[in-house]
Amino acid sequence: MEFLDSLILGFSTAATPTNLLFCLIGALLGTLIGVLPGIGPTATLAILLPITFFLPPLAALIMLAGIFYGAQYGGSTTAILVNLPGEASSVVTALDGYQMAKQGRAGAALAIAALGSFFAGTVSTIGLAIAGPTLAGFALSFGPAEYFSLTIFGLLCATVLASGSVIKAIGMIGIGLLLGWVGTDVNSGSERLTFGAVELFDGIEFVVIAVGLFGISEIIVNLESPESRGLIASKITRLWPTREDFRQAWPAVIRGTALGTFLGILPGGGATLSAFSAYTLEKKVSRQPQQFGRGAIQGVAGPEAANNAGAQSSFIPLLTLGIPSNAVMAMLLGAMTIHGITPGPSVMHNQPDLFWGLIASMWIGNLMLLVINLPLIGLWVKLLTVPYRLLYPAILLFCCVGVYSVSNRAFDVALAVGFGFLGYLFRKAKCEPGPLLLGFVLGPLLETNLRRAMLISQGSPSVFIERPISLALLIASAALFVLLLVPAIRKTREEAFVEEEV
Amino acid sequence: MLKVLKTLCVGALAVSATASAAHAEWPKDRPIEIVVAFAPGGSTDVMARAMQPFLEKELGAKTVIVNKPGASGEIAYTYLSQAKPDGYTFSFINTPGYLSMQVQRKLRYDPKSIQAVARIVDDPTAFVVKSDSSIKSVKDLVEQAKAKPGSVSVGSSGVGTDDHLAMILLEQAAGVTLTHVPFPGAGETRTALLGGHITTGGLNVSEFAGGDLTTIRPLVTFGDKRSPEAPDVPTAKEQGFEVFMSSERGLAARRDVPADIRAKFSAAVKKVVESPEFKEEAKKLALPLAYLSGEEWEQQMPKRLQSFQDIWNKTPWVQ
Repeated sequence: MEFLDSLILGFSTAATPTNLLFCLIGALLGTLIGVLPGIGPTATLAILLPITFFLPPLAALIMLAGIFYGAQYGGSTTAILVNLPGEASSVVTALDGYQMAKQGRAGAALAIAALGSFFAGTVSTIGLAIAGPTLAGFALSFGPAEYFSLTIFGLLCATVLASGSVIKAIGMIGIGLLLGWVGTDVNSGSERLTFGAVELFDGIEFVVIAVGLFGISEIIVNLESPESRGLIASKITRLWPTREDFRQAWPAVIRGTALGTFLGILPGGGATLSAFSAYTLEKKVSRQPQQFGRGAIQGVAGPEAANNAGAQSSFIPLLTLGIPSNAVMAMLLGAMTIHGITPGPSVMHNQPDLFWGLIASMWIGNLMLLVINLPLIGLWVKLLTVPYRLLYPAILLFCCVGVYSVSNRAFDVALAVGFGFLGYLFRKAKCEPGPLLLGFVLGPLLETNLRRAMLISQGSPSVFIERPISLALLIASAALFVLLLVPAIRKTREEAFVEEEV
Repeated sequence: MLKVLKTLCVGALAVSATASAAHAEWPKDRPIEIVVAFAPGGSTDVMARAMQPFLEKELGAKTVIVNKPGASGEIAYTYLSQAKPDGYTFSFINTPGYLSMQVQRKLRYDPKSIQAVARIVDDPTAFVVKSDSSIKSVKDLVEQAKAKPGSVSVGSSGVGTDDHLAMILLEQAAGVTLTHVPFPGAGETRTALLGGHITTGGLNVSEFAGGDLTTIRPLVTFGDKRSPEAPDVPTAKEQGFEVFMSSERGLAARRDVPADIRAKFSAAVKKVVESPEFKEEAKKLALPLAYLSGEEWEQQMPKRLQSFQDIWNKTPWVQ
C-alpha cells in the first residue's frame, strides 16, 4: 500500500490554494484552446513558458499539464458540434459525434465524452501511481521491429474504420500513405514529392489535412443545400444521455481506457493512436457495426476515453525516464529543466512531493474539467441554433487562424483550403477521410521503423520474428487478416444490399 | 473641404514625423521579432525563451519570439533575408546546419545577405552509451567496429546534423564503418539507446550534462578541449582521434541592418550572457555559454564551411 501513502502526499501537496488556482487556470485555458481548432497546446505552452519562471516549480507544472489535458476535453467539443477536430486525437470523435449532433443528440455526445474522459483520467492517474515505473521500462523494449509490427496491425485495423466499401477504404489509406511520403526522407535526407517547395520539406502538417478534409469540406457540403444546413437539421431533443446511451457507452469507456493507458506509454504513441485503435476495437466488438459512422455512441465514448487515458499516461515516460513522447511533453521537459528539475528516475526519489503532487493535480484537474464542462453543455448546444450564415464565417476564421499558427505560414492555410476541396470531392464519391488520416499518420511510422530495423539488423529480415513482442504482433495481424477477409466482404455486400433496398 | 484636406495633410505630416523620430529611437518603436528556426519545445526554443526576459531588460524593449520551423532552418533564414533591414527582425542561427546546408543544396536565400550578430552557445557533440554497455571508450567503439564491421550502430538527430557529421569524421579518422541510424530528434535517439536498440547515440553536451546520468554514460565529446559542463568526459583528441564537432547557436540579422543597431544588439546579448542571473538559468539548462561578437564568429565560419565541403566531396551525406 505504499502507493496510497504516495497518493496522500500528492493530494496534500496539490490541494494548497495556490496549486488549486493554477490547476484551474490551466484547465480553463486548455479547454479554451481545445475549442479553438488548431491553436494547439504546444504553442500555448511555449507562449506561457517565460511566465512560469516567476511561479513555484510545482504550480508552473500543474498549470502547464492542465493546459494539455484541458485541450483534450475542449478538442472533442468542436469535433462533435461542427465536425472540426482541433487535435489529431479528436478526429475519430468527429466521425460519430457529429452524426449524433445532427440527430439532435449533441448533448448526449458531449456528456458521454466528458464523463468518459473523466473516468479514463481517473483510472490512468491511479495506473500512473501504481505501475508507472514498471510500465515505462516495458515500453522501452519497443524498438523499431516492434513498432513496425504494431503499425502493420494498426493499418490492418484501419480498414475496419470505414463504414462503407472496403475497396474505397483501402484506396483512401493508399492516398494517406502517399501524402505521408511528402517531405524529407529521414533515412537518406533526400526530398520526396516536394516539387521543390521549401514549405513541404518537412511534410504536410496533420492539422492542415484534418482541418481541410473535415472542417472546410463540411462547410462546403453544408452551403450546398440551403435547406438542411447540417447543424440545425433536427430539434435538440434532450441534453442528457438516456439510460440506453449509458448502457451502451460504459463498456466502451472501459475498453477505451485500458487501450489508451497502454498505448499512451509507448514513446511516439500517445493520444492519437489510442483514439484510432479504440474506435476500431469498438467497431469490431459491436453487434451492429453498421451503426458506426451514423451516430453510434460507442464511437464517441471509446475514443474519447482512450485519448484522455493516452494523454495522461504519456506522462509516464516523461516523469520516470525523462523521455518526451510527443511535442507537448518535450515542452514540459523544457519547462522542468528551466525550473531546475531533471526528469528521470531520480525525480520520484529526490522530489516525491513534486512527482506525486503533479499526478494528484491531474486527477483534481480532471474533476474540475468535468464540473466546468457539464453545465456548459447546454451553452455549447445552444451554439448550434446560431444561424449558419453567421456560424460558418466564424468557423472558417478559426480554421485559418489555427492552421496558420501551427508553423506561422500562409502556405499552410492555402494547402488546407485545397484539402477542403479535395475532401468535398471525396464526399461526393462516398469516400471517407478517416482511413486516409490513419494512413497518413501510420505510413511514415511504418516506413521509418522498417528501414531502421533493417539498418540495425544489417539487412536481415529475421529480426521481425526473432523478437517475441514483434512476433506476437505479427501473428495477431495475420489472424486479424484471416478473420477480416471473408466476413468483411460478405458483410459489406449485405450492407450494400440493404441500402439498395431502402 | 479644403480645411479637412489641410488637417489631413498636417496630420499625415505629424504621423510621418513621429514615425521617423521613432525610427531613430531603435528599439522602442515596436517589439523586436526574434525568429526561432525550430518548433516550440526544442533546445533552441527553450533557450530563446529563457533569455527573453533578460534581453528585454537589457534592451529596454519588448521582444516577440516567432517559431518558423522547417527545412532545418532554411524557412526561417529565408524569412530573415526578406525582412525589412530596420533592426526589428533577428533570427537564431544554428551551426552546423546553417553552414552545411550551403554545401548540401541550392538555397532559397543568399547566405551572404545574412550576418551573424552574436554567438551565445558552443555545444560540443558527444557520443553516449547505455550505462551497462561494455564499451568504455571511443577506442572500444572503434575496435568493435573493426572486429565486426557494421555492428556498431550510431543514432543521430538526423541526416546532416552535427551528430551525423561527427560520425562521418570519426569513420574517416579511424578507418572504420559505422551504421548510421537517423532519428527525428535527440529525444528519440535517447529512447532507442535506453531500450538497447542502438550501440551509441549522438547527443550534445547540454542534452545530457544537466540530466540524469544513472541510465546513460557519456563516452566522448568532440570539443577541442574538455567541456566545463562535463569535465570527466574525455575528448576524441585525447583518445587519439582528431575529430572536432560542435553545435553553435547565436543570433543573426540582415547584413544591411545599420551597423550601430547590430552593435547595440550584440552588446545587449553580451551583457545578458555575462549576467549572473542568466548564468544561473543557463546552468540549469546545462548551456555551454560561449559569447562571441558577430565579427569574431564570422571569422571562424569559412574554415568550418571548407571542412564541410571537404566531407561532402568525399562522402556526400545526401544522395
